[in-house]
Amino acid sequence: MSGFLVRALRAALPGPAAVRRLRTAAPRPAYAKELFLGALRKEEVFPYPEISNEELQEINQFVGPVEKFFAEEVDSKKIDRDAKIPPETLKGLGDLGLFGMQIPEEYGGLGLSNTMYARLGEIISLDGSIAVTLAAHQAIGLKGILITGTDEQKAKYLPKLASGEHIAAFCLTEPGSGSDAASIQTRATLSEDGKYFLLNGSKVWISNGGLASIFTVFARTEIVEKDGQVKDKITAFIVERDFGGVTHGKPEDKLGIRGSNTCEVHFENTKVPVENVLGEVGGGFKVAMNILNSGRFSMGSASAGMIKKLIEMTAEHACTRKQFNKKLSEFGLIQEKFCFMAVKAYVMESMAYLTAGMMDRPGLPDCSVEAAMVKVFSSEGAWACVSEALQILGGLGYMKDYPYERYLRDSRILLIFEGTNEILRMYIALTGMQHAGKILTDKIKEIKKGNIGLALQELVNKVRDSTGRKVDYGIMEERGGLVHPSLQESGKKLEENVYYFGTTVRGLLTRFGKTIVDEQLALKRVSDIVINLYAMTAAISRASRSISIGLRNHDHDVLLTNIFCSEAYFKNNYALAQLQKYADENLDDYIKKAAKQILEKRAYLCSHPLDRTF
Amino acid sequence: MRLSWARALPLRLWGGCGGPKMRGVTGIEWAARPMCRSSSDAPEPPSDHGSQNIPRDEEQGGPAAFAAALEELERAPGRRLGRLELVAAALAAMPALGVARQLDAYNRLLRLLPRGPWVPRGPLHRLFAPFPRQQECGLQVLEQMERYGVMPDAETRFLLLAVFGPRSRPVRKCQRMLYWLPRMLHANPYPLPAQLPPPGLAAACLGLRRIANDPDARLSVYQPQPEQGDNEGSTQPYIVGIQSAEQQELLARHGPEHPVFVEGPFPLWLRSTRLFYYVLRGDPLPPHLREPPPDPERSLYYPLYLDLDLERGPWDDDEFDVNEVEEGPVFALCMAGTGDQRTLAKWIAGLQQTNPVLGQTPVIFRLGDGDSSAGSPGDGDALHLEGSRAAELEPPEVAWGRRAQGEG
Repeated sequence: MSGFLVRALRAALPGPAAVRRLRTAAPRPAYAKELFLGALRKEEVFPYPEISNEELQEINQFVGPVEKFFAEEVDSKKIDRDAKIPPETLKGLGDLGLFGMQIPEEYGGLGLSNTMYARLGEIISLDGSIAVTLAAHQAIGLKGILITGTDEQKAKYLPKLASGEHIAAFCLTEPGSGSDAASIQTRATLSEDGKYFLLNGSKVWISNGGLASIFTVFARTEIVEKDGQVKDKITAFIVERDFGGVTHGKPEDKLGIRGSNTCEVHFENTKVPVENVLGEVGGGFKVAMNILNSGRFSMGSASAGMIKKLIEMTAEHACTRKQFNKKLSEFGLIQEKFCFMAVKAYVMESMAYLTAGMMDRPGLPDCSVEAAMVKVFSSEGAWACVSEALQILGGLGYMKDYPYERYLRDSRILLIFEGTNEILRMYIALTGMQHAGKILTDKIKEIKKGNIGLALQELVNKVRDSTGRKVDYGIMEERGGLVHPSLQESGKKLEENVYYFGTTVRGLLTRFGKTIVDEQLALKRVSDIVINLYAMTAAISRASRSISIGLRNHDHDVLLTNIFCSEAYFKNNYALAQLQKYADENLDDYIKKAAKQILEKRAYLCSHPLDRTF
Repeated sequence: MRLSWARALPLRLWGGCGGPKMRGVTGIEWAARPMCRSSSDAPEPPSDHGSQNIPRDEEQGGPAAFAAALEELERAPGRRLGRLELVAAALAAMPALGVARQLDAYNRLLRLLPRGPWVPRGPLHRLFAPFPRQQECGLQVLEQMERYGVMPDAETRFLLLAVFGPRSRPVRKCQRMLYWLPRMLHANPYPLPAQLPPPGLAAACLGLRRIANDPDARLSVYQPQPEQGDNEGSTQPYIVGIQSAEQQELLARHGPEHPVFVEGPFPLWLRSTRLFYYVLRGDPLPPHLREPPPDPERSLYYPLYLDLDLERGPWDDDEFDVNEVEEGPVFALCMAGTGDQRTLAKWIAGLQQTNPVLGQTPVIFRLGDGDSSAGSPGDGDALHLEGSRAAELEPPEVAWGRRAQGEG
């Protein structure tokens, strides 16, 4: 037991604040990609990442005023009704420094690390429109300048953006191009003297489109390659509204986040100086990918913050309202809903801060897959939890007088923007498959070629797997283990699932090879499993730390973790069983057949139940 | 004859032994007698029916004539003898009169049969195949209903039960019809409309839509201008073409360096109308030209192609089919009033408006089902190869085809 304490205390040494070290080696694959090989990299996730005491005090100093601001001066109902954020509120946010949370201090921002950014995101998410406005501004709008900007560009633009004087927007989507980069029609042609580009085109659904003065625009440019071929490639530009030719349409009337300004932006012969190119000409694709992949993890803490507030509000109601002479909180179904919400919030928080902590480590590990997993889990969890909270209130939850319907409408967009959940599932699964495939290719090819020795070994392995095998990744040791003994069961389940998942991925690669890109239903299951695995890891890691250092209510932590791990274990096993060859549980063929018939006729096919033949 | 049992025996049962031959005409000869009148052959039609108005013009009053004849019979049922011959003659007359698809006619016909005398009495009677000719008569009625796709009614079933009794062959057949006919009627996933347009432009549009089977395909009617040699205002043959957006893309990707072929005419039968269609197709491209090469910068969110060296195993290859023959892409279809090369060249000219690549692609006309030899590929569509006439096809000899035409 003392081993745990020492480990936890040792890990509580001050880590790096917000200084990003230089990247000296190739980025490590971090944790998630290794799961696809059945390998559990414990040094990444155990112990749970911590921040130093100074940092904690610093962040708590920020949290107070922000909470006060949101409690007193933000009227979410009015914002939702008027579909507009009042300028005083925007000014207040700028004064608090919330427009430049991740901008380094030398440019006037707060210079917060990812963890601290996630912490503040918990409070900002209380109002969905403000959260989306701020996210569109800093998580994607000015991230390009932060990541790929030259020093002159940073010095020119970041100070004003940090104070909130200028707002940024991210212009990528066009009417014909959602995630398909090849169909971008906006064009940037170089002028004759080579000093500026002429930008022509229109972008659709741009958050902050009406408020922003600095846009990160992606357009097609012709570049001449080394071998003389002329190609059309995407380039990223920083475009100011003052360059002229930038117009925006009227704000779109949306279902939720109505305060956020979403509109079309048109560029007509906008002159963009050559110095405003982000990265290099023709390198816009990489810039776009880096920007999109880096901002996702904060959705976890934002959703968790919202759900925690919802639990408070809903519990207040459930414990006071009486029906059939019993309080609502005494009914089993209502209790189940509360447990569900608490488990989801706990796991979301754990995943978000684990990912933020991993990203804050020196060496800049590539955590894009983990961030995508956090986004998928949190968005779906938030939608389900808000739905349940509204359900607990019943009819009251449906009325506009109560905020639940606003939360429901605001949380629906979480599943759609920043990469729809379906696309992110494909991303998670395919990136992992790519990584695993690279390492496993040789082995699989050897077996397929007919190497008898290897084939026999595989057979023996399969038999041992099916008859029962002990899996030990070293996280459950007696002394100096990483997982607390009260989480033994959950740890064992995690280990089993990871091992079984590794063998299943091997099997899938053997069966499908690179054509697995077309098997989206199998990939969906793969990504569901790996999201659950990451969630289990995060929850176990956090609960372990919690009970080791003795945080308040640590036994509740352990309880929630055990509940979640048991559920996730069964779901994973079912999904893994579905992924085996000739599995009875696998209904993919039937689903595809039914869908094909429906889409052929483009209608519902069955005759009406009241039809007769004679 | 007085032997009612003799009348009940079949004439030719089990190879010859059957009932005694009756003096006078037999049932078969009755049925084979040519119809001198369009109404049914009652042995002794009552002649004093001046109050009845049988319409003189049979063309319009076919169903009415049948109804009138049935009314006569219902009023004066006639003798006990000759009922089977009556039913047989009525069945033979129904298609000509146009009532073969009306359930009501069959029900009224069945009502003429006696209820009760033909019901076997007891299981022992049933053992000896009772009333075979009567049951065969009922079966003939039901068979004609089946041939014309008429569903038996509750009333039909009631009548059959009353006439033949339960567990008789007609009632069993009725049960089977009630089970199978709905299935057969709904079996065709692409049913033709009940009333077909007459052969011409409308039928060509319908036929093209049937072949294309694509709701997104665009059907265009090309109006060819009269050429210099023809008179002004002469009727030009119609040209109807159909093409979908995917076919346009395929044609654009096919490129001007590979020739395309106009082949035809191929027949298409819409019930009994024959239409001819022509196909614009190309040869299958070599595999490396078929799809555009994978672009690594195509999708912003997830990789569209995995950079692995692993292929799909043969057991999981669902797209492989031993019977599948690799065919080239079909770019467009058309149906034209006349099938000669000038009209088809006008079609290609019309297609060029939406497919500019056809201006540079060599178009080779292979009319006459491939017996013309392909000449040297040239530019544009001004090729004048020798295309022989299409082989004349004879319509299939089916008796019901004529009857269906007679119904309109």
